[in-house]
Amino acid sequence: MSEHLDDQLEAQLPADKFRAWTKRPYIRHVFLIWLGLTILFEIFGPVQAHLMGAPASEAMKAIEDTMSLFTYTAAPVAALVISVVLYSIFGWRQPKGAGPSNESPAIKTNGPVTTAWVVISSLLCVFLLIWGLGEMNSLAPRNNGVKPLVIDAIGNQWVWTFKYPDNGNIESNQLYMPKDQPVVFHVSSVDVVHSLWIVQLGVKIDANPERVTLAHVTPTVIGRFDVRCAELCGLYHAHMQTNAVVVSPDDFNTWVANGGHA
Amino acid sequence: MSTTTRGPIPNGGGLMRRLNLGTAILTGFIFAFIGWYIAGKVFGFGDGPDNSWGRDRVWIITMSLWAIGFMTGIGAFVGPVRWVMGKDQSFEDQMYLAGKNQGISRYFKFTTDHKVVGVQYLIVTMLLFFVGGILAMLIRTDLISKNTEIFGSQTYNAVVGLHGIIMIIATIIMVTGPFGNFVVPIMIGARDMAFPRLNALSLWLIASVVPILLSAVFLGGIPTGWSAYEPLGLQAPPGMDSYLMTIIIFAISSGVAGANIVTTVVKMRARGMTWNRTPIFVYGVVASVGLAIPAFPTFMASQVMSGFDRAAGGVFFDTAAGGNDWLYTNLFWLMGHPEVYVILIPGLAAMMEYLPVFVRKPLFNFNAAVLGIAGIVGLSVMVWAHHMYMTGWAPNLNAPFMLTTELISVPTGMLFLVFIGTLWRGRVWARLPMLAVYAMLWNFIIGGLTGIYLSDVPVDVALHGSMYVTAHFHYTLMGGAFVGAMGAVMYWFPKMTGRMFDEKIGAWGFWISQIGFNVTFLGMFAVGLAGQPRRVSSYSSLFATGNLVSSIGAYTIFTGMLIFLAAIIHSWTSGEIAPANPWGAKTLEWQVPTPVPLENFEVLPVITSDPYGYGVPDRLLEPIREPVHTGDHS
Repeated sequence: MSEHLDDQLEAQLPADKFRAWTKRPYIRHVFLIWLGLTILFEIFGPVQAHLMGAPASEAMKAIEDTMSLFTYTAAPVAALVISVVLYSIFGWRQPKGAGPSNESPAIKTNGPVTTAWVVISSLLCVFLLIWGLGEMNSLAPRNNGVKPLVIDAIGNQWVWTFKYPDNGNIESNQLYMPKDQPVVFHVSSVDVVHSLWIVQLGVKIDANPERVTLAHVTPTVIGRFDVRCAELCGLYHAHMQTNAVVVSPDDFNTWVANGGHA
Repeated sequence: MSTTTRGPIPNGGGLMRRLNLGTAILTGFIFAFIGWYIAGKVFGFGDGPDNSWGRDRVWIITMSLWAIGFMTGIGAFVGPVRWVMGKDQSFEDQMYLAGKNQGISRYFKFTTDHKVVGVQYLIVTMLLFFVGGILAMLIRTDLISKNTEIFGSQTYNAVVGLHGIIMIIATIIMVTGPFGNFVVPIMIGARDMAFPRLNALSLWLIASVVPILLSAVFLGGIPTGWSAYEPLGLQAPPGMDSYLMTIIIFAISSGVAGANIVTTVVKMRARGMTWNRTPIFVYGVVASVGLAIPAFPTFMASQVMSGFDRAAGGVFFDTAAGGNDWLYTNLFWLMGHPEVYVILIPGLAAMMEYLPVFVRKPLFNFNAAVLGIAGIVGLSVMVWAHHMYMTGWAPNLNAPFMLTTELISVPTGMLFLVFIGTLWRGRVWARLPMLAVYAMLWNFIIGGLTGIYLSDVPVDVALHGSMYVTAHFHYTLMGGAFVGAMGAVMYWFPKMTGRMFDEKIGAWGFWISQIGFNVTFLGMFAVGLAGQPRRVSSYSSLFATGNLVSSIGAYTIFTGMLIFLAAIIHSWTSGEIAPANPWGAKTLEWQVPTPVPLENFEVLPVITSDPYGYGVPDRLLEPIREPVHTGDHS
């Protein structure tokens, strides 16, 4: 690479130096590789959303949006590291058979670069944190005058039982919920630790023996979703799954009137 | 390893002359059998439903006595007993104990030479990886498709837990054990560790653990995952006793090793080796073992408590009797999160150490590297409850733990800066250890960034307990730390074995395993995003493609690792004889002859500069501050 540029640049002003630095051939190459990789890695945003499937609650939608945002932000960061790696392999490597070089520049450190790196990564970190806090705040349950439907979710090796104390204590192994109705789960276990996971609704909370934990959700889509156990709970942990069925309020009332049978 | 010019074996040693691995195993078995028989007579061997305490008592006593017998038989207590009897070691005794002129046989004894201990650690680590790898293959074979059931759920769960804990222990010792022991004392210009006998003690404690850990295979396995959450652990078969005895003894070993290595580095660096001239690998090793000192005692405490619950009617974690499962979870992760950095830091530090050698540039911003390591160490003890966002333990603490967790990305980012800064404009000498750095950076950027998703509390709702987590930590620990260890093996191989590592065979093994690794765990990210929980023996047909891909990848890893193992064995037995400094490196371990003589240095070195003085001055980016003779460079 044209190291002779160094000599011409030595006496110049910092701004000129920077401009001249950007004219070095490897800067352009690394930048182009970075740009290409950034675009390539951005594809993981939609891929990720596709894999996670359509959200069935506001909470799940917020989670998927956050993950997309993280991916769009992370792509250029990953691309930066990988572009230097690629240029190091294809641009700066010694030819095959050549031994160790004696022409590498003895760059011990670089104050401005280090400062910029730490400042930018700290800013990204602060952004992450503020975003996360804001999101937690917006997802926190609110008392909007609507009384949430209480459902007791009980983990028992290896089935889920759902009880509806507001609806005559109906018991069911399938989770029925009316659309657009806030629900609060009172989650507990009769033996070991389980974890109630309603995949498409963005609900997860451990079911602990001798305790009750809470989880909130408002289903917004009618359909059949997956309830799984997300904490290893023994022999048939893998089979501890059932359906979450979100129905219209009318259908839910019919289901209740039938004593928990569809 | 060379034994061509061997002098006479020293006269000292006394009883130690008769003790070796064989007597250790024999004494271990005798002690264990006596313990098992007496405990069985007293508490009953029965497996009946009303005798679960008795069963666990018998196994805990048997395993404890195995360890005591094994340590007796290897000679760990000879020194203290002689000392208390007033018979101090003579010079001849010390020379015998250091393994002087004893050839291969010193590797099977309570030898104090740090280089012997390093090689012993390497063998133990490779053995554990081999077993853990076979178990991983069993898991992936069972998961090839929805319908492949090579074994039932019970065995599947047992295998998953065993794979986890074996790999955790192996990865904890994989760098600080072999290289922390072999390389660090030479690197800092010392003749040996500060406490050579404690060094041998830490190694042989680990060796005594290996059969205890593997005994779980015959005692019902560890069907709880490696985290052994309570009260599930209380339901588990006596394989759990193997687990808790392993952790207890392992914690003692790591405490002993940690105190020893930290003391050695603080007190025994060569004259002139200021902290600014101390190689970065030394920082990495000290950070790792130093972090283990606060981390492992809580794990040990949790297992002592769980032992009380299992075998003596204690009520620490038995929720049905009033115990507290969240206490266990906290104690476990108080160890569990520092522990991932115990694993990660030395692997990265090994690569930071040798990267300048192949790029022929100084390490970029050594101070940032030190600060990055220190920052990670400091923050890592404050993040444990991010594993507990979804437990319901303390929802109000989720936000502060999210803060500390996300802050770790700043010092971790500094380490990335050090890596790419060192690569920047360096003319790379593309030997295999160097190429491993590229692989590590690719894997670890994926592992690191996916960790940020998991740190976010709402996102963790979707990802916690899913295969996404499994993929994430394999990217950091296997893709990052383990690749660092593979690089370290290749880099220090010539010094440790006296032979060059065969890079032709090695490259096939390395790259096949890297491709397989990415296939396996990218597949696992996909099924995790789609909602597959971890540690499941069967799964919904939704996840069929991803699991098939992961299993194909896993077989590819296994193939690659076998080739890599073949490269190690082939090079060790019949590789090209290595010169003393094949890489032209500037750290001290390369300045001593190969094989490294006992006590390393004839005359202790005096250090006058840092070990990264490579490259030619770069006048644009690094103005020369000191006067330079004209005509120094053309």
